Amino acid sequence: MVKVYSFEACPWCVKVKKYLISKNIEFEVRDIELDVEAAKECQKISGDLTVPVTTVDGVNYVLGFDKAKLDAMLGI
Amino acid sequence: MKEKIKKEVVIIGAGMAGLTAAMYCGRMNLETLVLENAIIGGQIANASGIENYPGFLSVKGSDLISTVQTQAENFGAVIDEFDSIVKVTLKENPKIIETEEKIYLADVVIIASGMNRRKLPLPEEKKFAGRGVHYCELCDGHAYQNKIVAVMGGGNAAVDAANFLTKYAKKLFLIHRSEFRADEISQKKLRENPKVEIFLQTEIKKLFGDKKLESIEIFDKISEETKILQVDGIFVNIGVEPNTELFKDELEVSESGRIIAGENCKTNIEGVFAAGDVREKEIRQLTTAAADGTTAALLTEKYLSKLRGV
Repeated sequence: MVKVYSFEACPWCVKVKKYLISKNIEFEVRDIELDVEAAKECQKISGDLTVPVTTVDGVNYVLGFDKAKLDAMLGI
Repeated sequence: MKEKIKKEVVIIGAGMAGLTAAMYCGRMNLETLVLENAIIGGQIANASGIENYPGFLSVKGSDLISTVQTQAENFGAVIDEFDSIVKVTLKENPKIIETEEKIYLADVVIIASGMNRRKLPLPEEKKFAGRGVHYCELCDGHAYQNKIVAVMGGGNAAVDAANFLTKYAKKLFLIHRSEFRADEISQKKLRENPKVEIFLQTEIKKLFGDKKLESIEIFDKISEETKILQVDGIFVNIGVEPNTELFKDELEVSESGRIIAGENCKTNIEGVFAAGDVREKEIRQLTTAAADGTTAALLTEKYLSKLRGV
């Protein structure tokens, strides 16, 4: 399952989520503002709380909205 | 081979000017496509409270722009924020807008590409971008809970960013190379916050850190003293520059890089309009961006009627 670490007011997070929806990719939103566990996971994956962070395996991730990198990671 | 698609109007940029133009073009039944390379809403998408847009006592930038987007889409305009423009040819008719995936052939192009935040002019910027150097306090500010941050800049955007970031940071340095240009009311709020230390007439000279930013070197231009400040992050707010890289070979631009077009938004190429902050003009406000979008759209319709002999 694709996970998007994000928070509601973050405009680039919104863009990533809209992009995944446009490609019919199911994903889980992990809100780092509302969920302490999600924030810890995000920190563990990227070493930081800068978002959006998109990951499939919890190891490799894409920071920000980078269409080429998202496409490559998700096999679009 | 990229697919070729005809459009009556292609609007480049989905900020207030572009979306207003899209709303008007849509209302006039013009087949309208809006292309946005970055964020829908542009600069105001990040504004936490807009108090000078008529009709609203205070409105979040994202809420305001979302409403204008809905208005434009309800009138039939299509917005694509995922297919980036790679090249434009404006002097030909139809005008050619090539994106990563498609080639659009447009009768009219309205350029409302707005402004980009100016990057930190230091060689270390690339190393620390996203790793301590940031340009969007709303996006990245929360990552600095109980940390030390610096804000670079002295205008309204910088001081507003600093005021916003004080809700996360345990300590905030505001560093600006000259005197404040921000409104008194915002300055006062910042000065009264005990977490804040202000360095005016001060330049940032160097950034230090291994994988992430750890400290900065600042230089006081009056005392000529150099200091090292331990900071976890720096938010850069040193102004904006016009987003005209794609057009400046064909369109007349001013010294500051903005597109030269009069109050009628007409550029030096027929059928190409410039609207909003990207147009060279004295006043650049959200209200004037909406006004430009309106003007460009209405004159687009006139131009198309003339082109078709209607």
